[in-house]
Amino acid sequence: MENIRNFCIIAHIDHGKSTLADRLLQMTGTVSDRDMVAQILDSMDLEREKGVTIKASAVRMLYKAKDGLEYELNLIDTPGHVDFNYEVSRALAACEGALLIVDATQGIEAQTLANLYLALDADLVIVPVINKIDLPSALPDEVAKDLEHLLGVPADSIPRISAKEGTNVEQVLEAIVSQVPPPRGDADLPLSALIFDSHYDSYKGVVAYIRIMDGKIRSNDSLRLMATRSDLKPVEIGIFSPTMRPVDQLLAGDVGYIATGLKTVSECRVGDTITNSQNPIREPLPGYRHPKPMVFAGIYPVEGEDYDDLKEALEKLQLNDASLVYQPETSQALNFGFRCGFLGLFHMEIIQERLEREYDMDVVVTAPSVEYEVVMLTGEILVIDSPVELPDEALIQEVREPWMKLDIITPTEFYGPVMELVTRRRGVYTQQDYPAPNRVQLIFEIPLAEIIVDFFDELKSRTRGYASMDYSFIGYRPSNLVKLEVMVGGEPVDALACIVHKEEAYHKGQRLVTKLKELIPRQLYDVAIQASASGRIISRANVKAMRKDVLAKCYGGDITRKKKLLEKQKRGKRRMKMVGSVEIPQEAFMAVLRLEDE
Amino acid sequence: MEAFLPAYVDALCKEIVQVGGDGLPVHTIYFGGGTPSVLSLNQFQKILTTIQNVFQVLPGAEISAEANPGTVTLESLDGMRRIGINRLSIGMQSANPEELVFLGRIHDVYAIQKSVSQARSAGFDHLSLDLIFGLPGQTIRQWQNTVEYTISLQPEHVSFYGLTIEDETPLGKWLKRGLVEAPDPDAGADMYEWAAERLEKAGFRSYEISNWALLDPIRGWMQCRHNMQYWRLQPYFGLGAGAHGYLDGIRTVNASQIGAYIQKMQAGGPQTTPGSSATVELKAISRWEQAEEMMMMGLRMTHEGVDEGEFIDRFGISLEEAFPRQIQKLIQEGLLEWVPMDGRHLRLTRRGWLLGNRVFMEFVGCPPPALFHNHQGSIPVG
Repeated sequence: MENIRNFCIIAHIDHGKSTLADRLLQMTGTVSDRDMVAQILDSMDLEREKGVTIKASAVRMLYKAKDGLEYELNLIDTPGHVDFNYEVSRALAACEGALLIVDATQGIEAQTLANLYLALDADLVIVPVINKIDLPSALPDEVAKDLEHLLGVPADSIPRISAKEGTNVEQVLEAIVSQVPPPRGDADLPLSALIFDSHYDSYKGVVAYIRIMDGKIRSNDSLRLMATRSDLKPVEIGIFSPTMRPVDQLLAGDVGYIATGLKTVSECRVGDTITNSQNPIREPLPGYRHPKPMVFAGIYPVEGEDYDDLKEALEKLQLNDASLVYQPETSQALNFGFRCGFLGLFHMEIIQERLEREYDMDVVVTAPSVEYEVVMLTGEILVIDSPVELPDEALIQEVREPWMKLDIITPTEFYGPVMELVTRRRGVYTQQDYPAPNRVQLIFEIPLAEIIVDFFDELKSRTRGYASMDYSFIGYRPSNLVKLEVMVGGEPVDALACIVHKEEAYHKGQRLVTKLKELIPRQLYDVAIQASASGRIISRANVKAMRKDVLAKCYGGDITRKKKLLEKQKRGKRRMKMVGSVEIPQEAFMAVLRLEDE
Repeated sequence: MEAFLPAYVDALCKEIVQVGGDGLPVHTIYFGGGTPSVLSLNQFQKILTTIQNVFQVLPGAEISAEANPGTVTLESLDGMRRIGINRLSIGMQSANPEELVFLGRIHDVYAIQKSVSQARSAGFDHLSLDLIFGLPGQTIRQWQNTVEYTISLQPEHVSFYGLTIEDETPLGKWLKRGLVEAPDPDAGADMYEWAAERLEKAGFRSYEISNWALLDPIRGWMQCRHNMQYWRLQPYFGLGAGAHGYLDGIRTVNASQIGAYIQKMQAGGPQTTPGSSATVELKAISRWEQAEEMMMMGLRMTHEGVDEGEFIDRFGISLEEAFPRQIQKLIQEGLLEWVPMDGRHLRLTRRGWLLGNRVFMEFVGCPPPALFHNHQGSIPVG
């Protein structure tokens, strides 16, 4: 056990975490150069393309250090995004040390700090590394100074590397061996193993990624999942090197996997503790939590007949993603679909993209919503995640919405624009700090509803891409919220309703009506669009009836081509949703998303 | 261009002989697409004689030619009339000089008037004038001027077309680059409606969305019989470069380049009935597609619409059996009607004239109803 090092890599998005992981695998001979698929740890295409890691992985590497000894290095990869903080925290709990990668061209970012604090909470030894020194705009000296200031390690002791080109990567391996402590743990104690990730395998069922804290697992042991209180016989136990390789036993300090044979990842939760059924421990390892979705949206097939395909696609996605929840939902405007819950906006975007890309689905995603607590006059508290469910205002005592702590790091020159953006979205400034010269860290409190739509894009565009953000849940607070409803052609359109702050209802209602007027094409009759809140019409507009839509010429030579034009026009019309007798294009349903100024 | 003409006319005559020969009766002949008035009288004569040799041209057949103002003379018109051409369609376009320049026309307003009077002198008693409206920046006043001028020339037939801007045309590109203003569709609707009323007042009747015929006391409504053949989805030969034909439920397409067309006819390669050696595409139209096309084309005829008796004869199923939902919905929307006092013809309502696409699209790309048998039936050849 003295020769084992369990570590992870933490970084802000795009600071080169996966590239460094690739290089470590290559330099330790875990993967041959020939087999090297760039960024092997990210097994999903989408991750490679977006440059982020969605699922954590674990790989065992053998490294012969300069002291002449061979070490077993277990690299635990962590998800790189704020929506997956809980998963990150569990992966960190499986380690003794963390490589903190900072991009020499970007410096310390919001998630650098957020992840660093998580790692410090988990009592990890931090090994800072400055990456991308090969880039012309790299400022390694300055970044080193900032890290010294932040971590109290001498600036000149920090490895400066280029993971891409392989420069100085052996310094990182040596630092891991010399600075990260070996795992503590006792193989003779009863078994306790932490699940820090899982994936679904169609032959072996759910494969749990585990770190053994104490005790050992033999392949024929009977095991117990403590949170779900279920017992199981493992199909197989093993290690990742880097693909799954069965072994006979895993000992305290080891990182490996258990193929459980379970059918869904929700039966085998990240953060749960595995113990031995015959000789169980009494208390599970601390920190287990059931991650709760924070953001909700309806997902509907564009073509009604694709409903079953969508259902199947969601089922498959859920096999590997226990934090995705969904249930059937019916919308009067969009017919049959699903109400889905996500950990955050980024998680939602990933699911949408995977549905479109991996499952080739055409979907309409309605405006995202948060979960509201509605206190009724009767004292009853309803929890709703869709504007449609908001009861009549007259029956409500109070509506509470989730508030977040929002942490933004930006170059000081964008102080003004960031302040303006956040305060305009009901954000409240709480404090600031200067983690590095020319960088300011601004901390706000803000309703989650204000940051789930377009906020990050807006932040990026106001700071020319330099700002980074992180957020975490504080609690529910009462707000003066009302439902903004929309009628098109005299019919209420549920999918266009949204919950807004009372003071913004008027402005947003007007914007929404103006947008819809642009997006709803002219029909055979005049179409009235109205927005209302609290029983009052806020805004109205008319889409005038179409007067002319006809092919002027059609003679003998034109028939085939003109027929194709008509078929194309017909397909375009079919993609619209009929609400009453009005055809509404898909984009109109997204209009609710973009009600901010222009 | 002129250098090609003799070889082109030879190729065309060769094609006529290839596809004809059975003495099939024909009741219309149309020289059009491009500017057939560039042909010499001898060339016209040669083509017509060839047709008469291999087809049975019925007495009283309609023989039309397109002509652009400025490309004809009294002499050429006189010759055309003498060899049997009896209907002339003149590409007038506009009575406003700046619009003619915008459209790239070589003629001026005077040339229009001159061509009309020369055609009359030559003995043409069936003249059609072609107009275009909805040009970028065109005002209703300008359009009214064109329509008034057109009526003053006393044609038997008027066609007016709303300008369609397609992406790939020069105009489409100008539009994209902001060089011209996009025509306002409502202004186009105003122009169409104004012209419709004005022509009705002058004794014309709409018989197709873009076509108007004058009532002649002896000859009746001066419709273009040739074009009716298309809209009724009846058979026709398409001869010459780029021509499309439709026979026995098969659509033929000829090589579109003149050079390729001549070369193919000269080589006299294999001929696939009903096409010729120059046919590059043959497409069988299934009976259901024919039914759809009969609706899409037939409903363009604003007066007669689609004849249900004819539809049943051809497809063995009534209109409402073939398109139950579509017809019901469109009648409800006020776009379709059964012709009053007749009930056997389905047509666009007056309101539907300008919303034709909303109607036609309902009849294309539909699955055939269970009642429909897709076996090949007999199609009367006209």
